[in-house]
Amino acid sequence: MASIARCVRAARPSVLSTISKPIAATSRPVFYRPTQRCFSATPISEVRKYTKDHEWIDLHADNKTAVIGISEYAAEALGDVVYVELPEEGATVAQGDSIGAVESVKSASDINAPVSLRIVQSNVELEEKPAKINRVPEDDAAGGGWLARVEVDEQGLKEFEGLLDLEAYKEFTATLHE
Amino acid sequence: MLLSPSRLRGLGSRVPPCSSFRPFTAAAAAAASPTSKPQVYLSRSRNPYLNLSVEHHLLQTTPPDSTVLFLYTNRPCVVIGRNQNPWLEVNLPLLSSLTARTKPGDHEPAPTTIDLVRRRSGGGTVFHDPGNVNYSVICPPESFDRDKHAEMVVRALRGLGVPGARVNARHDIVVDVDVDVDVSESDGNHGANTFKISGSAYKLTRLRSLHHGTCLLSSPNLGSIGPLLRSPAEPFIKARGVESVRSPVRNVGVGNGEFEDAVVAEFAKMYGDPDVFCEVGDEAGAVDGVEKGMKELLSRDWIYGQTPLFSFSTYPTEDDPRERPSLPSDFHLSFEARHGQLSKFTFVNASSAGHVDIPSSSSSSPLDGSRIYDVEDWTDALRSYGGTVNSQAETAGRWLNGLFGTGHAKTQLR
Repeated sequence: MASIARCVRAARPSVLSTISKPIAATSRPVFYRPTQRCFSATPISEVRKYTKDHEWIDLHADNKTAVIGISEYAAEALGDVVYVELPEEGATVAQGDSIGAVESVKSASDINAPVSLRIVQSNVELEEKPAKINRVPEDDAAGGGWLARVEVDEQGLKEFEGLLDLEAYKEFTATLHE
Repeated sequence: MLLSPSRLRGLGSRVPPCSSFRPFTAAAAAAASPTSKPQVYLSRSRNPYLNLSVEHHLLQTTPPDSTVLFLYTNRPCVVIGRNQNPWLEVNLPLLSSLTARTKPGDHEPAPTTIDLVRRRSGGGTVFHDPGNVNYSVICPPESFDRDKHAEMVVRALRGLGVPGARVNARHDIVVDVDVDVDVSESDGNHGANTFKISGSAYKLTRLRSLHHGTCLLSSPNLGSIGPLLRSPAEPFIKARGVESVRSPVRNVGVGNGEFEDAVVAEFAKMYGDPDVFCEVGDEAGAVDGVEKGMKELLSRDWIYGQTPLFSFSTYPTEDDPRERPSLPSDFHLSFEARHGQLSKFTFVNASSAGHVDIPSSSSSSPLDGSRIYDVEDWTDALRSYGGTVNSQAETAGRWLNGLFGTGHAKTQLR
């Protein structure tokens, strides 16, 4: 996904303003687990992380299941998405591997795995309604533009720690406009 | 220093054609050096599967910061986009029966069949033949721009005396011609004065961006393209994925060699003299990555099986309420296909269809699970269906053969 977003010189200044808004999709439940200690001191379940290739990943409180998708920045830069090639359910891939693709403006763009993961369930609604990727790319609820529900292992968890938080991702995308 | 076209042509012939491994080892060596210079490859193969695989190999293996130009010309073929439906885009029965001309002014059809190819980039369906030269530029994502290299080709064309060439809003190259000018070469679109001569498509990966485009120079087949790209199954198919946009086309009237020289010269103006400049032939098919790519492009699972979900129905449905053309007999036939695999296949007498709920989804059809591209003859397939509608299997089967064709297996033989 790096390709499109980084290079289509996003002539639309609205990209940044969209990104600097708080992430809209807050419908996901927050898990309170008072009797259990999390792996890390900060509960990462409430942090969405981003890659420089413009994918996002929401790791759930169980530190095992997660949801992935493409960022609003990428969705904006891609232009009208006309088809989404969904990840193959059951596939196990390494960080950075291509797991699917989207087509927009005659371009087939790879979507890469933000961390090492296994695809549990693809968002089949995107097959019928690819434009959801443009409208609500960061919504991980039913009806949203999320790409897949996945499982991560120890390796994936380690990689997750290395990804960008929202602030860092915003700073990163701001540099792409120069 | 800018190289003149003639100088480049000289360079091209002075450099011996690359042996199969040279272009790619050269690229690998360049990858190791901190500064990667521009690379130019000219294919002398006419095999579309090979050329697209060499292109894909260059996309995957050339240095991340290099810019690569690849020029190739294919034997006659129909090339559909990555997310398109061949049964919707192409008249497959016509495709398997037709032969194409290979030389301009060649009035006797040469015994050349027309290949069906699915490329890896997005976009719509195009026709290639030896009168069409394809250009391809691979560059780092940071410098990607959808029009930049179409503009490069436009400058090349203008230099060759095609002043009307320009890039349009769809990132294609068109020529504006005076309506009084002879339009006999056009695709039967008399009166139109803007003609498409080149179509663009893109493949974007994490590390590299690819823009490739056709350029119609002297195709002797323009009259055949229209019918070939009109599927008789179109009124019955509701497809996901990407549909083509039709445009009247025209030849530029420039020689292949002249065009190649001019494009290379414009490329060198933008990026400097090429560091690697070689010819690629059929022997490139022996290179591991190319061989693997060809195997994929030639597989029926790629050509047909990569098709996005679509539905087919002989009567108006909620999903696709269009009126349908009349059928040869009184039946209702419908199915869905994901990756070319049939599901919810129903085939009933139209008279009974009015009374019975049409999709008998509980009782699965004998055809469910079959692949459309494995069905060699629909009359046989429908006979296995049984029931009272059996008497119509012959008629309906022949009708379906006429929509979908029966030549699916042929593509694999090449």
